[in-house]
This record gives sequence, structure tokens and C-alpha cells, in this order.
Amino acid sequence: MSAYLISMATYVGFFMILAIALNLQWGMTGMVNFGIAGFYALGAYSSGLLTVKAGWPVGFAMPAAAVVGIAAGALVALLSIRLREDFLAIVTLGFGELIRLIALNEDEITEGPRGLKIDARPFADMFDRTTYPIVYLAMVLAVVALAFFIAERIRRSPMGRSLRAIREDDVVAEVLGKNVLRHRVQVFAIGAGFMGAAGALYAHYVQNISPEVFMPMVAIFIWMSVIVGGAGNNWGLLLGAGIVMAILEGSRFMGDFIDFLDAEKLSAIRVILIGVLLIIILRVRPRGLMPEPRFRYGRSPGGGSSTADAQS
Amino acid sequence: MSRNITRRTVLKSGAATFAAATMAPAILRAADDINVGSLTPNTGGGGPFGPKITASHKRVVELVNSQGGVLGRQINLTQENSETNPESAVRAADKLINVNGVIGILGTWSSSVTLGIMPKCQEAGVIQMCTSSSADIPVRDEKGLVFNFQALSPVWGRAIASLALRRGFNTFNLMALNNDFTRSMMDGFVEIVGADKVMIDPFYYNGNQSSYRSEVSQLIESNPDAVFIPSYVTDFTAVYKEIFRQGYEGQVITVSISTGSKFKEAVGEAANGIIHGLPVPPISSEAYRQYVEEAELEQMDGVQHPFGTAGRDQMSTLLLAVEKAGTTDTAQVAKAMWDVTTGEGKKTVYNITDGLAAIRAGEEINYSGASSSVEFDAEGMVLGRDFQLAEIKGGADVVIERLEY
Repeated sequence: MSAYLISMATYVGFFMILAIALNLQWGMTGMVNFGIAGFYALGAYSSGLLTVKAGWPVGFAMPAAAVVGIAAGALVALLSIRLREDFLAIVTLGFGELIRLIALNEDEITEGPRGLKIDARPFADMFDRTTYPIVYLAMVLAVVALAFFIAERIRRSPMGRSLRAIREDDVVAEVLGKNVLRHRVQVFAIGAGFMGAAGALYAHYVQNISPEVFMPMVAIFIWMSVIVGGAGNNWGLLLGAGIVMAILEGSRFMGDFIDFLDAEKLSAIRVILIGVLLIIILRVRPRGLMPEPRFRYGRSPGGGSSTADAQS
Repeated sequence: MSRNITRRTVLKSGAATFAAATMAPAILRAADDINVGSLTPNTGGGGPFGPKITASHKRVVELVNSQGGVLGRQINLTQENSETNPESAVRAADKLINVNGVIGILGTWSSSVTLGIMPKCQEAGVIQMCTSSSADIPVRDEKGLVFNFQALSPVWGRAIASLALRRGFNTFNLMALNNDFTRSMMDGFVEIVGADKVMIDPFYYNGNQSSYRSEVSQLIESNPDAVFIPSYVTDFTAVYKEIFRQGYEGQVITVSISTGSKFKEAVGEAANGIIHGLPVPPISSEAYRQYVEEAELEQMDGVQHPFGTAGRDQMSTLLLAVEKAGTTDTAQVAKAMWDVTTGEGKKTVYNITDGLAAIRAGEEINYSGASSSVEFDAEGMVLGRDFQLAEIKGGADVVIERLEY
């Protein structure tokens, strides 16, 4: 049982990193990214291939995956020079599919639909089979903490205010002398780097990745996490990621309690339940469980966001 | 909306609910039960087949439990949905292994799911039983814990090709959905018909496309006698509509999993004339006759439940192997799998009741199943399965030929 909880906590960790990244891009800056699965896959395959095919030690391959994510994120963000945000949504969706299709079809490199088997795991020789999952969880949580720290620092900094200005109206931000393009590229690249890192962590955890893992459904779960938790609020989406995973996984246990549900009915009910809960949460808490604090004028930049959602 | 939900209350109640939900079944469960997991594709690409596998698993377990169980212990079956998706299936497998403490995970269907959960199962020493065709399955099973009840895809390709050759076709073109199941099938097909009879290089298409116009044009441009299209029902429906629209007059050959009732409903009369094949249960066998009775089906000429029958055989052989090994230690149970299924000069049994009785009487048994005679090679892959080629006539499948092993 505890092994299962540790494992689920690890998956929640992956979701949290992705959610923090999406919050940077969309929650704070207003850049819609439907291509989460693509960046996630890019990180997973980069790290996986570097260890399996290029023989890199896993300690280098995983950070390299984050770097690949940053580079890809910057490239995609550059497209936003001439694209308004709705078009960026389509471009990122396309990017996600592109990565998946490359992984599927370039089978001489990626092993295609057979899936890539990854033996390498960080620090695997130093711990035994029972303690290793805890070590891995600690590693994932460390990355969550790092991503959270960076995201929170950005949010509280002058850059964070510029980002919110861009989100609300990029023309006004531009008129006020903010370098909109630079900010967008920076933030999108940082977010994509987080996603790449999450992908690498995922790949070495499950040790078998195939293109089918990175369907657009992954992106939907992360969007759910951010929306349920509260866009713009980093604390909220940690909660959101936990809730989404708790619903996804917790609903599995219904069958253990309710005898008359056979496996087929249960499968359908689980999917329905996830949708219904999302609707309820959005109906009752339209801005998420922990909404972004309203910006107040006349406060110091650092503490300006500490007030609760008095106006919501 | 006056009540304020704080972070702490939510975290607390969330953690409490999650813990309660996950702990309870472990407490409710009797400690002495033998735990077995079933992970079937109840939704997604395998949706038409998963529920039948699930039902078969359940029937065998209920029957055994009503007769006093195995080794004097009751069987506790936990069923999960793989959603035909490895991402979700890995988490389901995690639950089965770590919460339910299963000795085996039975019923995975898609190769990517079987391969996806394999690292976890191998690490935990859990037996896997599947109906997946990827040639990678025996290669990656390092501990000898995987038993496959389906013929590997090259075998499908070879069987369909030899049946097609007998129909007198001379030139072929091939395209396949790009997944692991269909890929090695094309190699097997080309091997039998000979590369010189294939007009253009076989190629792959990606699933979930809105149009297959260019792929289909490429496929039929050189006007071959027949085209072979290994696929899933989800994409084959669209592909076939396009073939029909472009007016191809040759023979369309595919795998039977693509031409189920959903396909026939979708394309109507246009489906007539398609030839399709798949490994089938030995229709004349005693075990298949019993399966038809157990599943309350009507006896008919065509094959029913190609995967449901495998579900019956998976659960039956696993439990027989447990009884034979006298323990639930998976390494020993896996070894006993060959003892109860493979080898000559043993007493043939067709169901679990007779099998258990024979083992308890000290006899050596060879289980002969509803999906095949269930003989395994050294790698745990099932040896010969019957193969059937059918043609759609008047909206129904008419068997043209059957290869028996």
C-alpha cells in the first residue's frame, strides 16, 4: 500500500512540474500552450535516447533534456512574433503532434511504436529495491521545489508584473516600454525547460516510453490541474495537480467497494466522474480553488500578492 | 460562496479521503486469499474485446471459488481498465501490484500496454499473461514471467499471406497502421508472397487522421490484384471508405479485428467482398464448446469471442499452475505453467474443474484451451493457433478457409 502511495505521489510530482510550467506560460503570461505533451515527450525521449543510444550517463542526460526543452520552447515562442495567442494555441497543438509523430515514425532512432526501453536510473546502484522509490520521489519533489521557487520568484519580481501586464493587454505593455517579445520567449522557454525535465524524470521512472504515452490527453490533465487549482497561483496548482490525480486514481477504488459495478461500467463511470467533478468545481469556484491574488496598488512589489482573494 | 476554502482544509480533507479510500480495501480483504489482477482494454482501441476478457476472468474465478478455491484458498480478483493506453495502464498496474498484491496481471491486449507495464511487473516479480503480438515481448521478458496467448504478428502475416496466395492473387500492395502490432505482420506477409509480387514498398500510415486520401492513392495507384491493410477498426473504417470512393476494384484484405460489427454498420453494403483473417479458437475443440456454453452464446459456424476465449485460458492455466506448484511464489508458478499446459503423454483437460481434480489426484495434465491448445515455447509464447480467413458476404462473415495446427 505505501509503495502505491509513494508511486502516486511521484506521478503527482510530474503533474506538478508540468502545471507550474503551464502556469508560467498561460496563468501568468497568457500564452496558451496545448502542446504540453510534446515538450514532455521531447524531454522523455531526449533523456532516454541519450542514455540508451548515445551511452550518456543519466546524470548528464536528464539536465540535457531540460536544455532541449528550453531550446524548443524558445523556438516555438518565437513564432508568437506574428501570432496572436489563439493562433499560438494551434501552433503548440501542432507542435505536440509533430513530436509524437516523429517519435512514432523515426523508428530507427526512437524505436517507434515498439517503445523505448530505458534501463538507466539515477542513483540506482546506491539503494535497494524497496528504498529506491522513496529516493526517486525525493528527487522529483526536489525538482518540483526548484521549479516552484523559480516560478514564484518570477511572479513576485518586476518581471512578474510585466508578465501580468502582457497577459492582460500586450499592446499596453508594449506602449509602456516592456519588451513583450523577449519576456514571452523567456517565459515560454523556461516553462518548456520544466516540461522537458518532467519528461526526463518520467522516462527514467517508468523505464518504457512509447509515442502512445504522449497523447494530447496528458495536456488536458495538466490544464485541468491549473484550472481547478487556480490559474496564476502557484500554490493552487500544486493542489490542483494533487486533486486531478486523486480523482483519476481514487476512482479506481470504487470497484473494490461497489460490487454491482462490473469492470466495464466502472470504466465508463470513472471518466464521467472526472468530467462531473470538473464541472462542479468550476461552477462553485470559477477562478479555481485558490484564485490568483488580486493585484493591489500602493504595496511593495514583493509583498503585493500576499493578500487573500478578498474581491473574488 | 461565503465559505472560504483554505489551502489547509482542502489539503487535509483531500489527504484523509485519499488515504481512507486506498487503505480500506486492503483491510477488508482476507489475508489468506490469492490475489490475481486483470488489466483489460475496456475502453479505447481494444474496447470491443476487453469486456469479454474481463467476463471470462471473472467466470473462472467464481467457478473456482465456489468449488473451494486453489490450495484451499479463495481467489480474490481485482479488475482494472487499461484504457488501451500505456500511460494509464502503468498506474493501474502499480495499484494492482502494490495495493492488491497480485501474483499475476492477466488480459493485457495492446502490445504497448503489455510492454509498458513490463518493467514494473518484472521488478516486482509479477506474472503477465497477454494477447499481444509484438515480437519484442519475448525479448524483453528477462525473468521468464510473461505468457502470451496470441500468435506473434509475423505469424499472422504469414498465415494470411498463404491463404491469400491460394486464392490466386498475383500482385500485392501493403500499407499498415503504424503500430507495433501491424508492423511485423507486413514482414511476415512479404516473406510468404515473395518480394517480387509486391509492387511498391510497403509503407505505414498514422492513425487518427481526418483523411487518408494520399495514402490510399499511393496504395492502389499501381492497381495490384490485392491490397493488405493491417489496422485497427478505428482507422480502417476511414481507410476503407476512401478505397471505396477511389473505385479500387481489386481485393481488400485485412485483419478481422478491423471488420467487426461497428465497421459493418459504418460502411454498410460496401463491406461486402472484403477478406479478413485472424487467429481463432479451435472451433471443433471441446474447450471451445464449453466456453460457448459458459458464456451463454449460441453455437454457430463463425468464431465468437476470439479474445474472450483467451481470457478463460489465461485464468485457468494460472490457477492450475498455482495448484501444481503448491505455492504462490511467482517464479515457481511460472515454471509450473509449462507443466500444466505443454508436453505430450499427459492427461488432456479442457477446463479448470477437471484440471484441478486431476492435479489433486496426482496426475500430469495438459490443459487444452478454448483459444488454442495452449502449448508454450521456451519463451512463454503460445505455439500454433488456428487461423481463419473469412469473406464478408451480405453483411456477414462467411468462413472461406481455416488453417489448423
